[in-house]
Amino acid sequence: MKGLVPLFLGVFGTFAFSWVGLTVIPNLQIGALNPQMDEEGTDIYPAPKSGMADRGRRIYAANGCIYCHSQQIRPGYAYADVDRVRDAGPSPRPKWAERRSAPRDYIFDRPVVLGQERMGPDLADIGKAGPTEEEKPAAAPAANAPANSPATAQSPPANAGSGKPAAGGSPPAPATSAAAPAQSAAANPSPAPSASPSPNGVPPAYSAAWHHRHLYSPRSMSLDSVDSTMPAYKFLYEKHQINGERSADALELSGRDAPPPGWEIVPTYDASCLVAYLMSLDQSHPLKEVKTAEGAAPPAASPPAQPAGSPAPAPSKK
Amino acid sequence: MTPTADIPLKEPVISAAASDAEQLERARIDASTRVPVLMFYASAMVWLLIGTLLAGFVSFKLHSPDWFSDVSFLTWGRLRPVHMNVMVYGWASMAAMGTAIWLMARLCRTTLRHPLLIVAGIWFWNIGVLIGVIGILMGYSTGYDWLEFPPYAAVVLFVAYALIMSWAVLMFRFRRGDQIYITQWYLLGAFLWFPWLYAAAQAMLFVVPVQGVMQAAVGWWYANNLLFLWLGAIALGTAYYMIPKVIGRPVYSYHLATIGFWTYALFSSWTGMQRLVDGPFPAWMITASIAATILTIIPVATVGLNHHMTMQGYFPVMRYSPTLRFTVFGAMSYTVFSIIGILISLRSTARYLHFTEASIAYSHLGLYAFFTMVMFGSMYYIVPRLVGREWRYATLIKLHFWASAYGVGLMSLMLLVGGFAQGATQNDPSMSFIQSVASALPYLRGRTVAALLLTISHFIFAFHFGLMLFGLGRTSTVPTFLNPVEAEGSEAHS
Repeated sequence: MKGLVPLFLGVFGTFAFSWVGLTVIPNLQIGALNPQMDEEGTDIYPAPKSGMADRGRRIYAANGCIYCHSQQIRPGYAYADVDRVRDAGPSPRPKWAERRSAPRDYIFDRPVVLGQERMGPDLADIGKAGPTEEEKPAAAPAANAPANSPATAQSPPANAGSGKPAAGGSPPAPATSAAAPAQSAAANPSPAPSASPSPNGVPPAYSAAWHHRHLYSPRSMSLDSVDSTMPAYKFLYEKHQINGERSADALELSGRDAPPPGWEIVPTYDASCLVAYLMSLDQSHPLKEVKTAEGAAPPAASPPAQPAGSPAPAPSKK
Repeated sequence: MTPTADIPLKEPVISAAASDAEQLERARIDASTRVPVLMFYASAMVWLLIGTLLAGFVSFKLHSPDWFSDVSFLTWGRLRPVHMNVMVYGWASMAAMGTAIWLMARLCRTTLRHPLLIVAGIWFWNIGVLIGVIGILMGYSTGYDWLEFPPYAAVVLFVAYALIMSWAVLMFRFRRGDQIYITQWYLLGAFLWFPWLYAAAQAMLFVVPVQGVMQAAVGWWYANNLLFLWLGAIALGTAYYMIPKVIGRPVYSYHLATIGFWTYALFSSWTGMQRLVDGPFPAWMITASIAATILTIIPVATVGLNHHMTMQGYFPVMRYSPTLRFTVFGAMSYTVFSIIGILISLRSTARYLHFTEASIAYSHLGLYAFFTMVMFGSMYYIVPRLVGREWRYATLIKLHFWASAYGVGLMSLMLLVGGFAQGATQNDPSMSFIQSVASALPYLRGRTVAALLLTISHFIFAFHFGLMLFGLGRTSTVPTFLNPVEAEGSEAHS
């Protein structure tokens, strides 16, 4: 080859072709999407995330959650994504998702954390998998109060440490806490599950308290014989001495993870943000451009704010 | 395995006594690149060792997650991007720039001007990588694959790059002879593509961020192009220089090389979206990338054929020349890498391989089996010409080669098979998700063994390189051969 000019033009041209083709043109097509709304201008989806959840996404990105957890549901014709159910939760277990993901689901995300690998389950809809927050403080203690005694009877030594503060703190907790966290139900871990551990001491699956405990000690709540390979994020939590009353958001831990008596493990602000973010992940709202697998699936149709049917099975089972 | 008498084991030897004017000129050109290229290599080696240790740590933590997990900057999710970025920007880019500058000076037949500015650029680049690494460890990772460095580190890298590469490109102005060799096409392409690529990605992600999923599209467009058009292009250019040079025979076909280069530039730059098969994007984007990935078979075939025909009859030389052995291994891996790339992007196989460890295998085949092996080969060729000494121990070179070759082979195999096992379970909704993780775990442990092999290999190489750097190499006019050259061979280079 002779002469720099054809070489230079070719180098420039091929690359410009790819740049325009893969970034500029798609950006014209899907780079300025608006939220979807119905005729009255209500029922807007997606909505920007709250401050805490938005900060939580930064924590999520900074700590590399993205390398194991994807946030994209592929179409059902070739992949099992929409048929898959989560490993934990009351039966019938929550599905991974109701429909495939679409560009519009992500318009407020920055950074967008689609992910590239699944050493852990997909999280695109993880917020939807949890029990409904409004129902939880009232329902959980009632449902689980009797379950408390068999647990302590079954393993008295393990519960000696953690059971003590819980016993002292639990009777007043529902009354005080039901009012306090109401305004930030999604953002803060609901104290109710901490006051009422279910038989194995695990909060209701995919609730805020569950996420906190899962982040703090993933292997303490492995379901199958196989241990989770998720690293513990203990550095997002702080160990405090209990002064007077136990903190409302202290983690309910047992066994090896339990702090010594008189101490408690509480989430840092970062951890609360991260959990708020996880709880906010919800792509269940139908989108016009995406067909759900079986037409308009009933569970997907219910907007996340007022789910009429979904809370009922959750508390009754656990 | 006796070499035939016509195998030219004579590599161009630089000695002051050489009366040949061309040899003297080469020695002068080499001398002008001495300080910057050695600095590039030394920095790259340090980053390689750091990245290797991190790799072992990351690999081990993936199946034993409780190891050092309570310290924020040692958590897996921060160490993994650090490993990744140290390897890409610390080791790979610096080794690539070192080799590229040396090749450019040789091929333009001109001395390198302003080496001190390049040295300043190297310092800046090192500082940029260091800032980026600290940023990620402190928890300021941006969350975009391959672009985790905080934007302020990218600014430093950019300044460094401008300092380094403007002089490399300017060498073209002073070149002698009007034939532009194949290697120079690739190098010039890489020099111009990288800044555009890096600037475009930074601008579209951080300065004027694009909306939603477009960030992921830009991110993977960047990542694949960095792999192909920056590192891959330099590695291919290097192979086009080293293979004919060592065996002393011209490239088989210039026409094939031309086709290979332009199809490479055209198709591999479109492959980015194959990392997002059936993700939330317009289907045409992904289909275009899958098609481009399939079409990369054209450059692979032409480049592979060209190298093969050049090597025809000279394969036994690999028994002796370290450079050739590493380079040919790398060139062959380029074919394997591309075929695996096609496999993981086809929709029918993506069912089983997407979202699994197979994508890690793909990245390592590209970055290690192909790129890094070619770079090792070029370093075995270039370093003796810069320090005026020959490599001290043939045994160490052999150990380095076999540990690297077996290491990366084992790693790719483990990740591909493990990825397939993992993906098959993931795509079967009757199995719980954790079972897919469990099915990959034995392979991940196997990968840790591979990481151990690679660690050994890199420390051996670093030690050997250190000897050379401190002038402890052999003083000889004969290059170090991997195996003693038998009677016929030694006649050839006497």
